[in-house]
Amino acid sequence: MSTAVLDRDPSAASPTPTSPAPGVSFARILDAEWTKIRTVRSTVWSLIAMVTVSVGGTALVCWGAASELASDESNEPVGAFLTWGLLFGQIAALVLGILVASSEYSSGMIRTTLAAVPRRGSVLVAKAAVLAGVLLVLGVATTLASYLAGNFFLDREGIGFALDDPGVLRTIVGGGLYLAMLGVFGLALGTLIRHTAGAVTVGIAVIFVVGNLIGLVPGVVGEWLEKLMPGNAGQMVAVVEWFDPDALDPWVGFAVFSAETLVLLAIAGLLFSRRDA
Amino acid sequence: MITAQGLTKRYGDTTAVDSIDFTVRPGAVTGFLGPNGAGKSTTMRMVMGLDRPSAGSVTVNGRAYRDHPAPLHEIGALLEAKAIHGGRTAYNHLLWMAKSNGIPRRRVDEVIDLVGLSEVARKRSGGFSLGMGQRLGIAAALLGDPGVLLFDEPVNGLDPDGIRWIRTLIRSLAAEGRTVFVSSHLMSEMALTADHLIVIGRGQILADTDMNDFISRNSTSYVHVRSPHGSELAERLVAHGWRVEPADDGALAVHDAAPEQVGDVAGAAGLYLHELRNVQASLEDAFMRLTADSVEYQAGVPGAATTTADTSAEFAAAAA
Repeated sequence: MSTAVLDRDPSAASPTPTSPAPGVSFARILDAEWTKIRTVRSTVWSLIAMVTVSVGGTALVCWGAASELASDESNEPVGAFLTWGLLFGQIAALVLGILVASSEYSSGMIRTTLAAVPRRGSVLVAKAAVLAGVLLVLGVATTLASYLAGNFFLDREGIGFALDDPGVLRTIVGGGLYLAMLGVFGLALGTLIRHTAGAVTVGIAVIFVVGNLIGLVPGVVGEWLEKLMPGNAGQMVAVVEWFDPDALDPWVGFAVFSAETLVLLAIAGLLFSRRDA
Repeated sequence: MITAQGLTKRYGDTTAVDSIDFTVRPGAVTGFLGPNGAGKSTTMRMVMGLDRPSAGSVTVNGRAYRDHPAPLHEIGALLEAKAIHGGRTAYNHLLWMAKSNGIPRRRVDEVIDLVGLSEVARKRSGGFSLGMGQRLGIAAALLGDPGVLLFDEPVNGLDPDGIRWIRTLIRSLAAEGRTVFVSSHLMSEMALTADHLIVIGRGQILADTDMNDFISRNSTSYVHVRSPHGSELAERLVAHGWRVEPADDGALAVHDAAPEQVGDVAGAAGLYLHELRNVQASLEDAFMRLTADSVEYQAGVPGAATTTADTSAEFAAAAA
């Protein structure tokens, strides 16, 4: 990065001669975005909500359902319950992603951000990277804790899963990946819509409402639309077993969801670069 | 140095900024004056690369804003009092900005001291008063020690102490050789702060002049005269080559004439006068006249375009 030479009267020389060359670099944008995300309470609250709802929800359901699942009449996929709380905990990841973009618009801070870093594409990529990193780490912790809590109750009924049972490790890592990608999905929505309430409404509608209703479209079209909806496709990687036998293979589903998210992010980036801030 | 050439911003059918040219030079405070909605903020946002011009260009030190490798070292801006996330502390707000441009952490403490926010630097800025928010915005503008500074309505909503503080700061920044561009809708504020004046109305530059010239040119007086024979008197005054404008409740404003001359004309014609006095026009009046014109056109007077051109020509002539 080249040094910015201030072409002006020496009497106005800097009171603080700066040692490292000043200037914007991608590493510095990342550092700035990391500083931003860790210095607001909404981040902390969103993450606390994500962890507690996911883990608490899983523990609650497994505690309540374990004995019935263990009975002979049950043909429910037991593995689907190990990360059951994620169904609701994921809303926090979505909202956090939305807030990373929309709160800059509601506060007017986007202008300060773009005055400091006019390279808009880099700003969006840095936001996505920081957000995904935070959510990946806490997401894996969430799914691990969720598994441990849920499995505690299943184990007591003799229907528990070991860490090396098929799909368990994949679920723990995949849950983190899914939450990270969902956050980026929210970031793209927030950047597109620039309004917290609007983006949250659209996000929840797309992930939950439309995802559940679109199967009503008759025939094979409805079947495929249901499989390919972002939430439905992405969640497969975050469960050990699934309720829907027609669903996509976990990694295929996650790849579909990732592609959908990156397309949305690219559209958001394009508009972000063109629109007035 | 800020240079705008043919700078234009259109929103649909509305032209907010209409092909303006101007230069803001270092070592002086350049006032950017216009009524609300004249295009000041839009222009400033285009300088900062926040809004994309519909046509034309604007550069800071010869480059478009987005092409500067270290923008905060080049230009500091106070765009709006609340371009800040209220949930973040003042210190952390300045910290992320500093990190983005590779500015050392100690500079954050320096600017916090400079604007007098040390005691509240670790408090969330959402609870700040307007004045404190403004100080934080100024700390952010000074963070990279830039050679160009841009302040959009810096005294808005401030108490007298705050206004004086900002005024002194702005003057001292220019005295250090920096380029300082300050917008305001208050002529009186500009008269106290600016060395150079750019007046904008309805998206067009109405005047671009040295402040002293503007003051001396516009501190002229006129004669306020009221007569029951207003129209007849007006005809006779115009016949003497004086400019006559209708004033409030049927009175006349006579330019370029002394009160005794107006009285003599009325007396010679046997016209009664009910009031005759000399009025010293204030700068505020001069500004109101300039911008009242632009407001008038906004209301859709037929032939507005040509009238505007006339006004511009008049000001160009006056400035020459």
